[in-house]
Amino acid sequence: MSPFSEVRFVAQRELRKSFRSAKGIVLLVLSLLGGTAVTLLLAWVQQLKREKLANVTPEAMESAREDAMTQAFGDPATGKLLSHTPEVLLAVFFITIWLTPLLISLLGFDNVSGDMQHKTVRYWTLRTRRASYMVGKWLGLWTTVSAITLTMHAVIWVVCIVRGEAPAATAISWGVRLWLITLPISAVWCGISTFVSSIFKTPILALLATFAVFFVLWVTFLIGLRFNVDALTYAYPNTYDSFLINARIDKWMTGLAACIGMTALYVGASSFMFTKRDL
Amino acid sequence: MSGDETTTTKEAQGPASAPPPAPAAPSTPPANGTAQPAKADAGDAAPMSNPYAKEGAASAEVFVAEGAKKRKKKPVEIAIRLTKVTKRFGVKTAVDGVSLKVKAGSVYGLIGPNGAGKTTTFSMMAGFLQPTEGVLEVLGYSPMQVDELRSRIGVLPQDALLPGADKVGQFLVHMAQLQDIPTDACEEAARAVLAEVDGRDWWDVKCGSLSHGMAKRVQLAQALIGDPEVVLLDEPTAGLDPRVAYEVRQLIKSRKGRCTLIVSSHNLAELEEICDGAAILDRGRLVASGSMNELTASSEEIRIKLSPGPAPVSLVRDLPMVKRLEWDEERRELVVYFERGQGVDAEQVIGAVLWVLLQNQARISAVSKGRGLEQRVMELTD
Repeated sequence: MSPFSEVRFVAQRELRKSFRSAKGIVLLVLSLLGGTAVTLLLAWVQQLKREKLANVTPEAMESAREDAMTQAFGDPATGKLLSHTPEVLLAVFFITIWLTPLLISLLGFDNVSGDMQHKTVRYWTLRTRRASYMVGKWLGLWTTVSAITLTMHAVIWVVCIVRGEAPAATAISWGVRLWLITLPISAVWCGISTFVSSIFKTPILALLATFAVFFVLWVTFLIGLRFNVDALTYAYPNTYDSFLINARIDKWMTGLAACIGMTALYVGASSFMFTKRDL
Repeated sequence: MSGDETTTTKEAQGPASAPPPAPAAPSTPPANGTAQPAKADAGDAAPMSNPYAKEGAASAEVFVAEGAKKRKKKPVEIAIRLTKVTKRFGVKTAVDGVSLKVKAGSVYGLIGPNGAGKTTTFSMMAGFLQPTEGVLEVLGYSPMQVDELRSRIGVLPQDALLPGADKVGQFLVHMAQLQDIPTDACEEAARAVLAEVDGRDWWDVKCGSLSHGMAKRVQLAQALIGDPEVVLLDEPTAGLDPRVAYEVRQLIKSRKGRCTLIVSSHNLAELEEICDGAAILDRGRLVASGSMNELTASSEEIRIKLSPGPAPVSLVRDLPMVKRLEWDEERRELVVYFERGQGVDAEQVIGAVLWVLLQNQARISAVSKGRGLEQRVMELTD
């Protein structure tokens, strides 16, 4: 059997397990409720803003947005591109990117540690290469997270369309694009979560360690920002959202390559350690 | 094994009318040698020949998982080979230079007290643990070579819980898929093996809801799925009620001859019953290994229990084939040692001794060959 088939079987089971477990269902429902609530809140803020700026022409409004985006991303092409994005979608995108690590840590802390705790993992290591098991676990987690965020984004698109924030075509095309941008970033977070989970045999320790690692990465990012040390910010996966949303292809490619590289690094490290350790 | 070799007679009384069996050539060839206590360096101490291996089961190639995709298999005489295998956990040496060979098709026991290194040895065979030193091969491959051993080895780990959220059927089908059984045959294979462990009704039951006995049988089912060539069973009847334990034993027996079985257990009676041979471990070292006949010395001594009444010990001692005799007055047990070979085997000695005893009105309550595995283990381990 090829390693790809092994990975597929392990990931399929993981996906099935996640959506049948109470934890998976609760997190899905909470994500949907949270996403809807945030969207409604942002739409309300938008409405207030529109009422306040009622005398500003749409052209002037768009120009102001373009300037703001150009300043934020340091690139006129990106500023122009994002000035057409429905504001609510863009805001929700950044919020979900920021909250995704929380979702991943709650979904993934017992991804491997749960199987190690009572040696359940032994049923798999007899039948799959250990690296395949680890990649399958990561893929299962990533697919689960991606499915939850897609559902959440879809709800947001609907709310956006129903409230008239954007035409349906705009909302969906931008919505899908923004959701796709979350995928490489969540892949890295899932890699980190799988790595941490594979180190511990006790799920609660894995959860605490995952929180700690995520927090340290965030603090490192803040320090990097504060003291203009770019190298420190690159360790934080969410840094790459500005790369992946960028209109410049070189930036986009850099962001994608960084995410793929980091994911490979974390999943590779967990596979290597898992292969070497006693179970 | 013991069923064949141990005879228990309830209060046989008075002289028998039948004559003693005539001396004849032994119907079964005697074993080649007795089990020798292993030296510290077990690599050259453990007897490697396995005279107990069944004819026709010498090659593992004959066993092909039904429904499994075609895989080119390397024919092997030796199903499991350990060469000076050592496992250390920090400063603690759990297994120390153990060497063993288990012939394909045999049923082999791993015996020893707590902390002897049975489970560690077993876990290394299954690939859960990696040896610190030495070489371990299963069907000619390292246990870590999963792709080569997939569907060829089944393992019942002692303390690995089933995934609680999975339904039994789902779990077994998933295991079958990973064993490369064709997708359309997975459910059939899973249902068949579940039926074999008498768990047809558990298909939709969550593994987390199973009782200990049910879970053990599902664990056994996953070990047997796809008809693997080598099956490793760690404490297969531990914690089971007598009835379920009996059923599990019968199931294991039914697999005899179909695959190589390695059974690690504290239950010596169980091992004596089902195993062809065994290795006795103590404090991580191999202290003896060989066929069950060799380990229990069943071809060198017989034990006869007498009820109160005459005990013609001196007459038995005078028999020509008797080398030595011990009589325990308190337990009323007669232990007869004899030199096997040259036309003398245990069955003939039993016949001759019983004839003398019955002629002299002795009341015989039990007859057995050898000293029993339990006693042998007690002698060899601290």
